[in-house]
Amino acid sequence: MSLAWPIRLSHLSLYRRLTVWLLLPLALLVAIMLIDARIGARDAADRAFDRLLDAASLAIAEQVRWQQNGLWLDLPASALEMLATDAEERVFYALYDAEGHYVTGNRPLPALPPAADGARMRYADRESDAMPLRLGVRRARLAGWDRSDRFEVRVAQTPEGREALAAQLFRASLLNVLVIAALALIGVMLAARFALEPLTQLRRAIRERDPRTLAPLTLTLPRELVELREALNELLARMRRVKANQERFIGDASHQLRTPLAGLSARAELALRQSDPERWREALVTMNDTASRASRLAGQLLSLTRLNDPEAALERERVDLVAIARACVRDTFSRLHRGGVDLGIEAPDQEVVISATAWQLEEALANLVDNAASYGATQVTLRVETTPARLIVEDDGPGIPESERLLALRPFHRGQETGSGTGLGLAIVDSISRAHGARLTLHATCPNRRERPGLCVVLAFADD
Amino acid sequence: MRRSRLCRRLRRRPLSSYGARSTYRPRLWRHAGLLAASLLWLGTARAETLRLESAVADARPLVIYGVLDLPQMHPLLVDFHRRNPDIDIVYRNLQTIDLHARVLQQRAVPQADVLMSPAMPWQFQLANAGLSTPLETTSANAWPTWARWRQELFGVTFEPIVMVYRRDLAARMAPPRSHVELLQRLQAAPDQLRGRVVTYDPRLSGAGYTYAIEDARISARYWDLVQALGRSEAALEATTSAMLEGLSEGRYWIGYNLIGSYAQTYVANHPELEMVVPQDYALALQRLVMMLRDAPHPDTAERFVDYLLGEPAQRLLATQTSLGAVHPGVTGTGTASALRDAVGEAIRPVRIGPGLLATLDTLKRQALLAQWQQAFEGRAGGSRLSPDTASNAGPANNLPALEPASIESPLIASPSIESLPREGHPSEGPLSLFDPTQEPASP
Repeated sequence: MSLAWPIRLSHLSLYRRLTVWLLLPLALLVAIMLIDARIGARDAADRAFDRLLDAASLAIAEQVRWQQNGLWLDLPASALEMLATDAEERVFYALYDAEGHYVTGNRPLPALPPAADGARMRYADRESDAMPLRLGVRRARLAGWDRSDRFEVRVAQTPEGREALAAQLFRASLLNVLVIAALALIGVMLAARFALEPLTQLRRAIRERDPRTLAPLTLTLPRELVELREALNELLARMRRVKANQERFIGDASHQLRTPLAGLSARAELALRQSDPERWREALVTMNDTASRASRLAGQLLSLTRLNDPEAALERERVDLVAIARACVRDTFSRLHRGGVDLGIEAPDQEVVISATAWQLEEALANLVDNAASYGATQVTLRVETTPARLIVEDDGPGIPESERLLALRPFHRGQETGSGTGLGLAIVDSISRAHGARLTLHATCPNRRERPGLCVVLAFADD
Repeated sequence: MRRSRLCRRLRRRPLSSYGARSTYRPRLWRHAGLLAASLLWLGTARAETLRLESAVADARPLVIYGVLDLPQMHPLLVDFHRRNPDIDIVYRNLQTIDLHARVLQQRAVPQADVLMSPAMPWQFQLANAGLSTPLETTSANAWPTWARWRQELFGVTFEPIVMVYRRDLAARMAPPRSHVELLQRLQAAPDQLRGRVVTYDPRLSGAGYTYAIEDARISARYWDLVQALGRSEAALEATTSAMLEGLSEGRYWIGYNLIGSYAQTYVANHPELEMVVPQDYALALQRLVMMLRDAPHPDTAERFVDYLLGEPAQRLLATQTSLGAVHPGVTGTGTASALRDAVGEAIRPVRIGPGLLATLDTLKRQALLAQWQQAFEGRAGGSRLSPDTASNAGPANNLPALEPASIESPLIASPSIESLPREGHPSEGPLSLFDPTQEPASP
């Protein structure tokens, strides 16, 4: 339950959050001020009305004399009238001698312990006969020549008057506190609005932008928001780069597709001018070859697009690398064998299982093997290794010079203009290895052979 | 069908039958305690009850303890009964001290719902101790602030303290119209007026004591007046009716500090007398009404007090009784506003406030009475009592105490009312502690 409201708070707008967190301490402050005002009003009223008890008891004490064998008091009526204010309090008084015996009065009143500082007057709140009383006790001495007996004048009044005064004082401070609170409330809300104004500006600036522009934001913002703006600008820059890459890719792709299509068109036109069926057949063979290459190119373009789609969810499953490698050999062996390429496999007996997307690995292997065959290798070996799980494709072709190996990973980059490669194979493998968090390395199979050092492509998978 | 029945359980004996009118008798003091107790007993014996029964089946009872004679109270109760036929009214007419004692006795389980008494200090003491309960009705809230305390205690009548003189006094001297003129007459002709001026004895009468305190608070020259009264050997009575009788019989020429409501009725039937509201200042007492906090029937009590504060009851007070009405909406003769118009600012209602508590303080009473006695007997020369002279005079021993239960708070450990001796000396003379209303409204 207690966790419920901070969670709800996180849904609040920044403005509300700011207001709430500013108003909570303000409310606390107001409550403290009100409690303080209540206590202060009570104290002030008590002080004012205790003066009456003081004056009345003094007026009575001044009339106390020693006469014959006891205390004698000529009670002044004004002393009692002094005790009753407009609130018409009930009034009580009593005179006690040194031994604490009741001498006179209209009600016995309790004694109070002597003050620590020796003050003559002591005050206390007492309940007597279900009636709340404010009691004042004055200790005094007879001021005579022959006797100086101690005596006590105790006076009491009911608290209606002081309660009324306290309520009046409290109402006055209540009004003050409320006015202050209202001003503070307005101030807080204005302050929150002004403080959040740059955020509003930023939001407006972003919302009002042309969705196609990726130019950086050039808004003047407070320090706290500059970071946000820089982060936004970085994101925009990345988007610009991605967009440039995509545009180049599309350009390259259309160029690549146009070439075989133009070839097909030219070949068909040439064949149509002839009437020899033998020529037609030659033309058809060539056109078939070109069409299948164009088709493969389109397929690779498609898979590259799919691989680069960040929103495509990858379905990982447990995949046996050995099984995949064997399947690849089974599928491509006869085709390569016809082309004079020897395809071999070296794999351990047990399964090498990693978490991966099977079709992507198959695609990668097929690309690597085709690549090797396209660039004139005569011997291609698939190798599977355990700990760490690695997939290696070796060939004895011309290889790639060290300086071009990174470039080779970019789409449409072809090391040599010979061969029937599309220039997409390594780019696809690179995308797949990145999607699997695997490390892709290229190096020569036998660096010693100068003419045909061969290429060894290693896909090292991270340990699960 | 409404049925009202007036029943008087005991006929009250006229006060004068208890003995000769009293002048100051020193030996009385020694029996003060016993006298006070006997008075309590007398008061109990003299209780009157007026019952107005309701004809309605599920009638609600209402019990009123009052200090107001039936002839004055009757019109009010009948009118209230006519307006509220569903209430069974029981009105008990008691003496002031008796009423006070009963209320304190029944403190835990009160039997009365409403108290109504002119003994203002005693009523205030009960209310101050928390025995009353507030009334929040329209008429209660609109009641003049000078005539109420805390919405709990309401002064419903307005009765000035007056002077009465015989008309034939004018042949000898100009009749006094104010306190100052009375003092001047006494100082100018002390021998001519010897024994001819009568006033309350504050040592015997609670009413007289209350007026003495109020007089002394208003003017320091009051002590000159007491001294002059003593020099001319003024007669001291315990009740207004005794003073009026003496005036009517010709024994006294001038009466000072009489209750206006009684004097007014009496003077109306005795053409040889003239009533004067003093023009420098005139005290005015009020009958204080309160509802008891733990009243057995608070609903009917509320209706009755609300009725007393309403215009109809106040108009009735002004027209059919000699008590003055307080309600600002009621004008004409017999109202506080009419009296104010006649006398102006000189009218001084006894303030309903904690100052009344000082009146009931034992030591205060002893001090004031000692001072009064010294001024009257011409010993202290009317100066303020100093502790030394007071101790020489020994007033603490000699002065009588008021009935203990009436003076001290009920909360103070004091001899309970039941434990007081019930025997007394009724033959010692009329002793009224505070009984301004026990005299008949008409002789």
